[in-house]
Amino acid sequence: MSTRTAIDVSNLPHHGFDTFDTIWWGNNLLLAIETSMFVLLIATYYYLRQNFNLWPPPLAQLTAPLDPLPDLSFGTANLVLLLLSCGLMFWVDLSARRESRAGAQIGLVICLLIGAIAIVLRSFEFSAVKFRWDSNAYGSIVWFILGMHMFHLITLSCETLLLTIWSWTRPFDMKHRVDITALAVYWYWVVGIWIVLYSVIYLTPRFG
Amino acid sequence: MVERSQNLPVDAYTEADEREIKELERVWACPPGIIGWFTDTDHKAIALRYVVTAFVFFLFGGIEAALMRIQLARPENHFLNPDLYNQVFTVHGTTMMFLFAVPIMTALGVYLVPLMVGARDVAFPRLNNYGYFVYLIGGILLYVSFILNTGPDAGWFAYVPLSGPGYSPGKRVDIWAQMITFTEISALCGAVVVIGTIFKMRAPGMSLHRLPLFVWAQLVTSFMIIFAMPAVMLASSFLASDRLIDTHFFNPAEGGDAILYQHMFWFFGHPEVYIIFIPALGFISSIVTTFARRRIFGYTAMVLSLIATAFLGFGLWVHHMFATPLPQLGQSFFTAASMMIAIPSGVQIFCWIATMWGAKLNIKTPLLFVLGFVAIFVLGGLTGVMLASVPLDLQIHDTFFVVAHLHYVLIGGSVFPLFGAFYYWIPKWTGRMLSERLGHWNFWLMFIGFNLVFFPMHQLGLQGMPRRVYTYLPNGGWGSLNLLASIGALILALGVAVFIVNFLWARRFGLIANANPWNADTLEWSLASPPPDYNFYRIPVVEGSNALWDRSAENPVVVGLSSTKRETLVTSVVDAVPELRYELPGPSIWPLLLALATAETFIVGIFTAWAFAIGAVLTFGVFIGWFFGDPNYENVAAKEPPQSEEPHRAPEVLRAENA
Repeated sequence: MSTRTAIDVSNLPHHGFDTFDTIWWGNNLLLAIETSMFVLLIATYYYLRQNFNLWPPPLAQLTAPLDPLPDLSFGTANLVLLLLSCGLMFWVDLSARRESRAGAQIGLVICLLIGAIAIVLRSFEFSAVKFRWDSNAYGSIVWFILGMHMFHLITLSCETLLLTIWSWTRPFDMKHRVDITALAVYWYWVVGIWIVLYSVIYLTPRFG
Repeated sequence: MVERSQNLPVDAYTEADEREIKELERVWACPPGIIGWFTDTDHKAIALRYVVTAFVFFLFGGIEAALMRIQLARPENHFLNPDLYNQVFTVHGTTMMFLFAVPIMTALGVYLVPLMVGARDVAFPRLNNYGYFVYLIGGILLYVSFILNTGPDAGWFAYVPLSGPGYSPGKRVDIWAQMITFTEISALCGAVVVIGTIFKMRAPGMSLHRLPLFVWAQLVTSFMIIFAMPAVMLASSFLASDRLIDTHFFNPAEGGDAILYQHMFWFFGHPEVYIIFIPALGFISSIVTTFARRRIFGYTAMVLSLIATAFLGFGLWVHHMFATPLPQLGQSFFTAASMMIAIPSGVQIFCWIATMWGAKLNIKTPLLFVLGFVAIFVLGGLTGVMLASVPLDLQIHDTFFVVAHLHYVLIGGSVFPLFGAFYYWIPKWTGRMLSERLGHWNFWLMFIGFNLVFFPMHQLGLQGMPRRVYTYLPNGGWGSLNLLASIGALILALGVAVFIVNFLWARRFGLIANANPWNADTLEWSLASPPPDYNFYRIPVVEGSNALWDRSAENPVVVGLSSTKRETLVTSVVDAVPELRYELPGPSIWPLLLALATAETFIVGIFTAWAFAIGAVLTFGVFIGWFFGDPNYENVAAKEPPQSEEPHRAPEVLRAENA
């Protein structure tokens, strides 16, 4: 009987972290899509700025306060909160890798809470912008950027909610531990993008 | 990584093998009934749906083209009224670009990439299914509204201010904007599916430098989709929000900017040309290799040209906007870039010619279409270099010269290779060979018809005939060339009809195709035609860049994958070293439900903003079901560890060791 060489893979694992798993790639490719969207939004922001002598434009009606710049308080609070949350998410990520179920369970619950607070803070951020979306092009683009990022805060929190429920009620299996590490990547991305967007919306009109 | 070599019999079909194949057939089968049809995740089934749907839209787009040619056949014709004519040319362009060209290129990728890289399915089978349904819904939306006389009428690129709230009241442009959203979501899903499959599911031995050029082309295209498509989604979202909730992105009175729309549209729109064209380059490389019976000349140069084309493709968009008041220095830059992109295209054409040079060509219909492509595309490329020059472009902007150019590039660069690809791969898809004689008829009718329609348009454009006019006066002297073009359209349509006849004929009477009727080199030809649901009984080990031609007598394979669940091999990105035995998700109704939730969001969103809140709730509901409610797959714990498969494999391994 003639023979052939074969590679036996029956001892390979079913799941692996990071670049091993297709989920990591799928997640990152979707984030690449969203990154190109935010890059284009930022480009739009500065493109529209060319049409204005003053950016943001002066307020039309003289209500107090006169300053047309977006109010810093809620946006900054959100930035600090989200930056701090990354440490926690890192811990959740680590717990998932070390198969420490309790750590992941508690960490996810706190992250979920942070996500909810960030969404509430964001809804106040809209009113901190001194224009509505239909006042002028400045208002339109700032609302759009805030809205798109809020959309990600919401989907991020929903995904966290699903994995929190899973971690409390279902087996802490390898597949879902990998999912938790993918969630962590998404979380860092949402925060990282916010650092950029925060600088664009709140800082560059003040200093740039 | 755990890997050990052992010896297996080459005449593989022992009793144990038969049992395992039966098991694989059961595990990978499409569930029965109409529900099964909706839930199936087999990449081949989904790809064929894409192909059929896109081809139907191609016929619709063709009918619209025919209507326009009838209208323009003679001066002062009253076959279509101006309003209907506007809708017809808009729907024609929109259909051909968004509902035909992009999806059908995705479709061929989704069908062939897993087979060419040696995987049992794509990396994300359910995302793939979702992408198809979203695309289908988008297409239906466009045509239902067209039938109801609310078809978009502002051109396929829907420039503001014409498409803005001031000049296009009603819902027509909103339909266009949302249809864009659907098709772009679908294209993005397809891109993620294809990249994931190429990066992680290649058979052992298929390192990146052995990747077939078809797969390289799909990879490059998918990355272009990821970076280009968000631009048009944003442009159409801005447009929709300007129209529906009174934002001012494109309203100059409130600091908005109409040119911004053009920038965003063409930042997508120019790469779009390459998104349609680069997959066609992949078809051509496959066909040339097979019919010249030679390895491709300059593989590395070909790959680098593909990548260079993709990069340069992002630096050309402004040449669509030379007629707008942009700084001259900027225009010169884009002229230079537009001329530069001829270099990588030229490299590829020369490599193909070098491959065919002195080879014993096997002139079958697929190769005929490739040769037709070379002729037509070179002409389209030449007018492209002409249009890249600003003064000439200003002169003939918005004339039929541009119509001629873009059809030479798109039909020549994409539709001809696509028909070649149909002739080449339909035997694999259906198990039947198309008729060569009808194929030759098909090619010559299309080739002659095409040139008769579009060549006179160069002249018409130079004589000043503007595009997008519903009629013209008799004393302009444009009548006879227009009549000639209309006759050409009839011949072109006949060519397409011959293809349909050929296909239907072959379904019943065509020669039965064996596994490899063309003696081709890529892995899909090692499988039966059509391939079984699970693709590969044993995933092959690839030994060279032309997988089948380089296969040694030993013909090594992978063993140890489960046949009691949908398991495939996951390998490393660069060298394709086995990493995981990965269970792919099986059939599921959730992708369809998710697509319906998406549809609710964007279609009802045309009428009320509440649709977005409702859509969010629906979507989250679907995700809960998807995440928790699927015993087939998500309940992994029940199947892990995979003890159940051990008894199955034992006799075979024993026999191998004895041998």
